[in-house]
Amino acid sequence: MPDDISDGVRIELDGLTKRYPGQEVPAVDNVTMAIPAGELVVFVGPSGCGKTTTMKMINRLIEPTSGSIRIGGEDVLGMPPDQLRRRIGYVIQQIGLFPHLTVAQNVALVPKLLGWPKAKVTARVDELLNLVGLDPAQFAGRHPRRLSGGQQQRVGVARALAADPPVMLMDEPFGATDPITRERLQNEFLRLQRELRKTIIFVTHDFEEALRLGDRIAVFRERSRIAQYDTPARILADPADDYVASFIGGDSTLKRLALISVGDLAADPAAEVDGLPRVSATATLREALDVMVSHSTQQVACDGGVLTYAAICAAAEPAREREEVPGAR
Amino acid sequence: MTLSEYVSSRWDELTQAAGQHALVVALSILMATLIGVGVGVLTYRRPRLAGLATAATAGFLTIPSFALLGLLIPFLGLGWGPTLVALVMYSLLPIVRNTIVGLRAVDPAVVEAGRGMGMSAARVMARVQLPLAWPVILAGIRVSTQMIIGIAAIAAYVAGPGLGNQIFDGLARLGSVNALNAALAGTLGVVVLALAFDLFYLVVRLLTTPRGLRA
Repeated sequence: MPDDISDGVRIELDGLTKRYPGQEVPAVDNVTMAIPAGELVVFVGPSGCGKTTTMKMINRLIEPTSGSIRIGGEDVLGMPPDQLRRRIGYVIQQIGLFPHLTVAQNVALVPKLLGWPKAKVTARVDELLNLVGLDPAQFAGRHPRRLSGGQQQRVGVARALAADPPVMLMDEPFGATDPITRERLQNEFLRLQRELRKTIIFVTHDFEEALRLGDRIAVFRERSRIAQYDTPARILADPADDYVASFIGGDSTLKRLALISVGDLAADPAAEVDGLPRVSATATLREALDVMVSHSTQQVACDGGVLTYAAICAAAEPAREREEVPGAR
Repeated sequence: MTLSEYVSSRWDELTQAAGQHALVVALSILMATLIGVGVGVLTYRRPRLAGLATAATAGFLTIPSFALLGLLIPFLGLGWGPTLVALVMYSLLPIVRNTIVGLRAVDPAVVEAGRGMGMSAARVMARVQLPLAWPVILAGIRVSTQMIIGIAAIAAYVAGPGLGNQIFDGLARLGSVNALNAALAGTLGVVVLALAFDLFYLVVRLLTTPRGLRA
């Protein structure tokens, strides 16, 4: 991940600890990790494991007891918290739109805090609403209560992006939406992130969501101990211990196939495609396998030719995923 | 002389008394709002202090108004001073109480979002929490106003301003000429004032409730 061309900046946590008065064990115990610039890192773990506390220490909604946080090399614990937070996008599950303000006023909030000129703010609001797929002419003047849950969370994302922060913190942002809306929001968000390359910390307890969205996943156990911090493919192929394996469940190979798209594999261009079921290049290997099973065949047609069952099995070989990824540990 | 004849013959005197009555109520409510909302803002997150503030302001209300006004004379003399202080004390409870309730009812996620975006605590209070709690606070102010419009009449006892003088005069010389008319005119004036204030609050509520909060 080339740091110099990306919009995001690197985040480094060092010995980060949160101890609440009157509690024997720290809520977050000595977390050290680096989040590479422009990557989306998912914190995943059960409720109460400290993943949200760890995230909220980064924008200092929770003050750390000890340890250090650097964003783009700058020590954030020495900064005024309000100014720090204006440079960090923040999206929460309950969205928290201001009900007495319009959609446009909600989105304009941080740019106004930063003292942007009015014309620039207006232009930015339109740009962002378009970016998250809401027509400004239709939505800018509306109040939040007149939006659906999915639309509200789009406004939430637009508001967090408003001042173009290099870093975004997202606390189960799609957790309160229905499964169909959630999948659509996830896909839109992935597309957005491919363009924006922000450094994003994304908290969820949904491992499937972590696999879909994360460039990297940090699996948390209690007290924010990190059980494994790696790419989705490597966590699936080589879970660090039984705890991580329990998150993956019994279908790690299928989950791994879901991370690879048909277009990533070289199809056999010479083979006969007539009469074979077709899959698109953007379909995942898991979907291709599904088509094979449902059609009782070992071959499917795709853009480049024919994809075989044997090729899918070869792609699922854990060894293929073991090449070193820079920055992973 | 009939009541209507009495009212038209004393029109200037009555409107002046009504004006002063309205003024003393308005001033008291203004001060009570500043104090009450301030106390609510400072205490709503601390249950013990909030309980103390509610109990203390409720305690004020249990003091009989004659006693309170009389007890204030040694400190504040007669006239506007004791009247204002007593009316402010009586109007605090609904305002303090509703400010606390209204602020507590604001969705914590909205406050967290505001803080998370880099708004200071004071700015979140002024721009988010108070506007969202405003309809509830306004309801408290309205109740206080209705309460003290009646109590303000008793301020005539300490030579305070307002329609109470008509009522007291009339009642003091009941049986003599125009005594009943004076008492009735003063009482009717208080009722009319109460209705006028209520109408005023209706308009204020319509004008100040943010559009996004209206049902």
